[in-house]
Amino acid sequence: MLSQSMFPWILLTAAFLFTLGALGVLIRRNPLVVFMCIELMLNAVNLALVGYSSYLNSEEGQVFAFMVIVVAAAEVVVGLGLLTRVFSIGRELDVDDLDEMKQ
Amino acid sequence: MNALLAVLLILAAISALGVVFSSQTLYSALSLVLTVGLLAAVFLVLNAQFLFVVQLIVYAGAVMVLFVFIIALLDPAAEDRPRLLDLRLILGVLAVATLCTAVFVAARDDVTYDTSCTTQAVTCMHGYSVGSLAETGVATADPFHSFGFPENAVDRAGNVQTLANQLFHTYVLPFEITSLLLLVAAVGAVYLTRRVAAGPRRDPQAEERWRDDLVEGPD
Repeated sequence: MLSQSMFPWILLTAAFLFTLGALGVLIRRNPLVVFMCIELMLNAVNLALVGYSSYLNSEEGQVFAFMVIVVAAAEVVVGLGLLTRVFSIGRELDVDDLDEMKQ
Repeated sequence: MNALLAVLLILAAISALGVVFSSQTLYSALSLVLTVGLLAAVFLVLNAQFLFVVQLIVYAGAVMVLFVFIIALLDPAAEDRPRLLDLRLILGVLAVATLCTAVFVAARDDVTYDTSCTTQAVTCMHGYSVGSLAETGVATADPFHSFGFPENAVDRAGNVQTLANQLFHTYVLPFEITSLLLLVAAVGAVYLTRRVAAGPRRDPQAEERWRDDLVEGPD
């Protein structure tokens, strides 16, 4: 059972980690770092889910955190496959450079 | 326990700063390993033993090894320092500050931080359905049968057993869908990283000779 005084701090840390990940997605240009920042955001959501699970004495938040971990693993597999593909055709790894889909 | 939790949260926040603001990709990855490990410790303190193990195995074990491997494969020495006083950085900081403030305000105003009235919080969250149930006169005795948070449910049967009960009874369909998702991801990764020129290795000189033969005829 999570003590009452610590629960806002867990939510605060989760919000901080999430917004930090969002900031990294916005300002970094290396797609590998962008992926890592997405992982950071997913981890922040996991922290909030587990914190609520402990706070509300319900194990459902942990089940959903487990699903989030599975989704994150699948996303990393596909994303890194895409990056190796981009690298193997000789493109520079820069999200500003890879903008053909915009045109 | 509270002090330990506070120290873990602060260290996780600091190492997350390292993920975003490191100049080298590898340092970002190592900071993320540290963040993930600290969050796993937070899970352990929060009585989520199963997620602690899964976090260590899947994130720190599989995902981060994959990240470090790809970094070493692609460009280990790539420097990507975020430029200061960039328009994008300013816009990003503004957007993030707005989002962060919104999250803080929402968390302060809308969440009741009183563990003794969990039932009231649930009533607030699901007031509509509870009201409609009360109107029809159905299940007035236990309106929260699907959201019943029993005392110490997380501690009751050991965390892994409790979680497995949820995972294989209540959420068995989403669980199976995640297995399908993993299958699709694996097939997609194999498709993306296959060899471009399948089959026997092509020899450009031989192809040119063959094309010349086609044009000029064999000697």
